[in-house]
Amino acid sequence: MAAMKRDRNPIHYDRAAYFYLLPALVLLAVFTVYPVINTLITSVKLDYRFLTGAFKGFSAGHYLEILRDKTFQRACFNTAFVAFVCAPASLITALATALLLNSIKKFRNFLTTLYYLPQVTNIIAAGMVFALLFNTNFGFINLVLSWFDIDPVPWISGVGIAGSADLYTRSYIRCLFILFVYSLWQGLSLKVILFLSGLQSINLQYYQAAQIDGTSQWNILRKITFPLLSPVTMYVLITSVITALKSYASVVALFGDAYGPIGDNSKMMITIVGYIIDSLDDYLSPGAISKASAAAFILLLIIVILTAVQFYFSKKWVHYK
Amino acid sequence: MKKPLVKTVNYFLLAAAAVMVLIPFFWMLGTALKSEAEALHIPPTLLPKTYRFDNFAKVIQTEPLMRYFLNTLIVSAFVVLISTMITVLAAYAFARLEFKGKDFLFAVVLIAVMLPQEIMIITNFMTIAKLKWLNTFRALILPYCVNAFNIFLLRQTMKQIPEDLYIAARIDGLTNFKYLWKVVLPVAKPTILTTMLLSMIWIWDTYAWPNLVTTQDNLRLISNGLKNAFTTSTGNIQYELQMAAATLVTIPLILVFVLLRKYIFSGITRGGMKG
Repeated sequence: MAAMKRDRNPIHYDRAAYFYLLPALVLLAVFTVYPVINTLITSVKLDYRFLTGAFKGFSAGHYLEILRDKTFQRACFNTAFVAFVCAPASLITALATALLLNSIKKFRNFLTTLYYLPQVTNIIAAGMVFALLFNTNFGFINLVLSWFDIDPVPWISGVGIAGSADLYTRSYIRCLFILFVYSLWQGLSLKVILFLSGLQSINLQYYQAAQIDGTSQWNILRKITFPLLSPVTMYVLITSVITALKSYASVVALFGDAYGPIGDNSKMMITIVGYIIDSLDDYLSPGAISKASAAAFILLLIIVILTAVQFYFSKKWVHYK
Repeated sequence: MKKPLVKTVNYFLLAAAAVMVLIPFFWMLGTALKSEAEALHIPPTLLPKTYRFDNFAKVIQTEPLMRYFLNTLIVSAFVVLISTMITVLAAYAFARLEFKGKDFLFAVVLIAVMLPQEIMIITNFMTIAKLKWLNTFRALILPYCVNAFNIFLLRQTMKQIPEDLYIAARIDGLTNFKYLWKVVLPVAKPTILTTMLLSMIWIWDTYAWPNLVTTQDNLRLISNGLKNAFTTSTGNIQYELQMAAATLVTIPLILVFVLLRKYIFSGITRGGMKG
């Protein structure tokens, strides 16, 4: 092909190409490329005022300020919980579900469609429903517990937590549990589809050969399925961790605009994106936008580093055909 | 060949998972149909004693939910229309045309795929505020009009069309635009439909950005409208109405999904969905 091209020398450059690209490139420049650069610059501007554009020099102070901020630390911890506890847990559940789905024929399409429903459910609607499921008085979960004579659990409750560290911790753990259950339910759908399509693209001859050799089911899984599925696993891991790092709307829907049960004033369940958006609320006060920018840039760094690390390690255990 | 016991266990586990997935939908619909008194009954009833379908009518009458639906439709329609045109043109240039700086510009698109939208939100907010576009439809539409992932997906599809076809068409005197219109578009139609659907789902779910750039009720999108509905200032929630509203918001997208499943699945298995 390359030789053919050289025969038709010189390569024909189409200047019209730039007209085809113009609208996309202009919008990408304004709404994607410029924002990344501008976020970095704004994050080190001291006392930046939005209306006048005035600032008093450059400093890394905003980074130190938010790193010391208790709310930002909480946001980092919660975000890490979703990314490194919830996302891997839903990955494992999804893999198991996909393996089961792949072993059956009847109802497979029906079940796949059914498992996908959470993904097409509005994120705010889903969060509200979960908040009601775990409601102390009117929730389904406590109703089921009552069938086993278990007293109602105050799942999302901030009663007395302002004055007691012990009550605060208990309330916090319960909220994390709700977030975990929600993430499992919400995250399963997309991953099941991806794993299932990965499983179905594995050449059946491998399995036939293993069957002739009398290989055990477990060894087939370990020596054939998992290695051949590893590119998909890698992809699912990267995308689901990154998605989790950006959690925001689900937390607002579950726990409200104050990121916590009524009675909590510490923004108990805030995430990094929530912290960024909250900092924008008073965007007219000096320094607020710089603080938000610093938080955004930290998030970007975490995402870039994670992507790099995952790609690096993927070379060691991912088998590409 | 497989033992029947294993098969039964497999089906049992899958059915159990299906029940877990369905519980929230069951509780949403069940609560949506309860009367106000029954929704506040302790302990709750598993199924509604009387089915109050008029809850849905009440929801539409008391909250401007229809206005939110209309706004979301307007924004989706514009975004899908504009972004599809932009995406098709850009994807065609990357797939078929030769020009200087192609590799560099395509690398920019690939990096843009990886960058999270949430990082841009601050500067985009400043841009919109400086343009004095806060509380306008433009603010809701424009930032969504370019989607690097869709450009990438469509370019991959267009690349699969044999180059010989292009050379033949050019020899026959077809212009680039005619070739794109007559040959490429019909072939790429399923993928274009996929990108349209993904954009629609994106707008339907979007929450943070509209919440930031609009403060007026008549500009709210469905997610934002739903979030604020049926909660009094003291934090009391009218659960049966809230769940009826949630049901109304959920149903259209589920219908679209069930009808056009094929296109959505083909999109996500060929490169995932935006977060």
